Amino acid sequence: MLQIKPILSMLLRSKSSPLLLLLQIILSVAIVANASFIIHERLALMDRDSGVVEQEVFDFTMYSFDPSVDLVQQQHKDLQLIRDLPGVKSATFSSMTPLSGGGWSSSFTIGTSEEDERSAPNSAMYYGDEQMVDTLGVKLIEGRNLRPEEILPTFTDSGVKGIVSKAFADQAFPDESAVGKVIYNGNLGEEAIEIIGVVERLQGAWVNSDNLEYSVIIGVELTNAFMRYLVRAEEGTFTRLKEQIPEVLHKDQKNRVIQNFTTLTEHRTSVYRDHELMASVLSLMVVLLLLITSLGLTGMVMFNIERRTKQIGTRRALGATKRDVVSLFLVENYIICLVGGVVGGLLAIALGQQLMQHYDLPQLEWQYPLATIVGLVIVTTLAVVFPATKAAKISPAIATRSV
Amino acid sequence: MLSMKNINKVFKTDLVETHALRDFNLEVKEGEFVAVTGPSGSGKTTFLNIAGLLEGFTNGDYFLDGVNISNLSDNKSAAIRNEKIGFIFQGFNLIPDLNLAENVEVPLRYRGFSRSERDKRVKQALEQVGLGARMKHLPAQLSGGQQQRVAIARALAGEPRFLLADEPTGNLDSMMARQVMELLEDINKAGTTIIMVTHDPELARRAQRNIQIVDGQVCDFTMYQGGQPQLVSDNVQAVS
Repeated sequence: MLQIKPILSMLLRSKSSPLLLLLQIILSVAIVANASFIIHERLALMDRDSGVVEQEVFDFTMYSFDPSVDLVQQQHKDLQLIRDLPGVKSATFSSMTPLSGGGWSSSFTIGTSEEDERSAPNSAMYYGDEQMVDTLGVKLIEGRNLRPEEILPTFTDSGVKGIVSKAFADQAFPDESAVGKVIYNGNLGEEAIEIIGVVERLQGAWVNSDNLEYSVIIGVELTNAFMRYLVRAEEGTFTRLKEQIPEVLHKDQKNRVIQNFTTLTEHRTSVYRDHELMASVLSLMVVLLLLITSLGLTGMVMFNIERRTKQIGTRRALGATKRDVVSLFLVENYIICLVGGVVGGLLAIALGQQLMQHYDLPQLEWQYPLATIVGLVIVTTLAVVFPATKAAKISPAIATRSV
Repeated sequence: MLSMKNINKVFKTDLVETHALRDFNLEVKEGEFVAVTGPSGSGKTTFLNIAGLLEGFTNGDYFLDGVNISNLSDNKSAAIRNEKIGFIFQGFNLIPDLNLAENVEVPLRYRGFSRSERDKRVKQALEQVGLGARMKHLPAQLSGGQQQRVAIARALAGEPRFLLADEPTGNLDSMMARQVMELLEDINKAGTTIIMVTHDPELARRAQRNIQIVDGQVCDFTMYQGGQPQLVSDNVQAVS
């Protein structure tokens, strides 16, 4: 551009105020780039698909305090009563609820002898019946679903059938189909689970876990005094069903506490609350930093206009057009902004590496400092154009004023 | 070269109307050296601003080098100022953060000259005012007289037809004032038309022609030949 060299000379000779602004920009870029990256990471985490039709599924808990009740028989009756309610598509008992932040997990052993024994990843463990797959709405992509007669009353060393998530299958049996394979819940040979199906996706309960995508559903009954049920129902029926379910179940057997009706959508909101808060706070910080930077830029331009009124008038007298005056301020601030942006970008990468080392964060991608610099150029333009346009209106006649 | 006919300049505020120039008439021929004097508030600066296209006028006709100046766009005015007029200000008006060469280069950049052309002209202009060896110095490193010479170099670098000087020696001591005046005389001898506003009757007398402005009108018109004053007219009209 026409005026870069003399403007650069001017900036180098009037160090103090551009230097302060430069420091502000460097720090802003370093912080904004990393904050934007963290925000994006958090939003990406929150955006992950659980594999479950969350808008249709809810859970509730039941505590039976009457020791005389036959829990096995009662559970069969309860499930039938729930499934018969209008709007209910399917229902099952379960050891856990996806995205709830709590549940059961287990590590598994694979192999046929001690020589080829290896570990499968630690996974969420869903105890459920033949309606578990339908209740969660997970998509079976290989093998078949559990059959009612395959649901065993207790965990035995053989005969238990299971369905695994594709992530688990790929990890445990990378080069072959998982269907027909056996995994052991504990040591080799103990509590064998035969894999009969694979679902496309099913997350566990712990969203911050690296093993979130690894899940195993097993066809084993759970009949404790404290139970959890999962229900899939038509959308819009939740409010009615959370009244009706306790009503029909209490009618059949009143000595129990039925509560904690929670939709999967509510579980998701709750389990990702920290991430959402972090993203919101960081977003606010990014906006504030950009605002402060733009105010700094506007302030400096206004200060310079005040300080250089006569100089601007003289430039106009010497032939500068209004556009030349605006571009003088723009170029001047673009130089500060780009130098600050590049140094700030390098600092952002250094800061990102520190964050990566000390906290559980992935490496900052180079696009973030670059996008921050682009954003900064836009902010600079907006912050500078208005006062500079005002400066361009300074009359050239100001040059002949003696004071 | 410069022709003003019935120029009026009225400043209006909510309460008063001030006539800075009233039916102002002036003709300046090419190559003349005209000194403009007058008491404070007489309209000298307003005349200079209008002559230099630094501000507009309320009505009248103004032709500069054959161009009708009335109703020119802002960009066109800037271009004429840049190409045809050189300015010398009382306070020098150099840009403190630019060195001498960069200061002289300012109007040349606005003209769009190539780098080599700019470098050539800057060097030539600074050498003409005797500061060719100090191109990299900052204005603050120079005396007032030297700073004014830099301002003259800046005005000359664009090779203007017409030089407007506003109290060019007003901030200088007598020795430096004399040097600057000699420089202006040399420039005039080389063919550049000069209009100089001054308070100093000594300096005014050295110009070829001396006009006095009182209450926004040309009220006295004196031509000096060979340093001897001759009253040509005491009328408002100034015709040469």
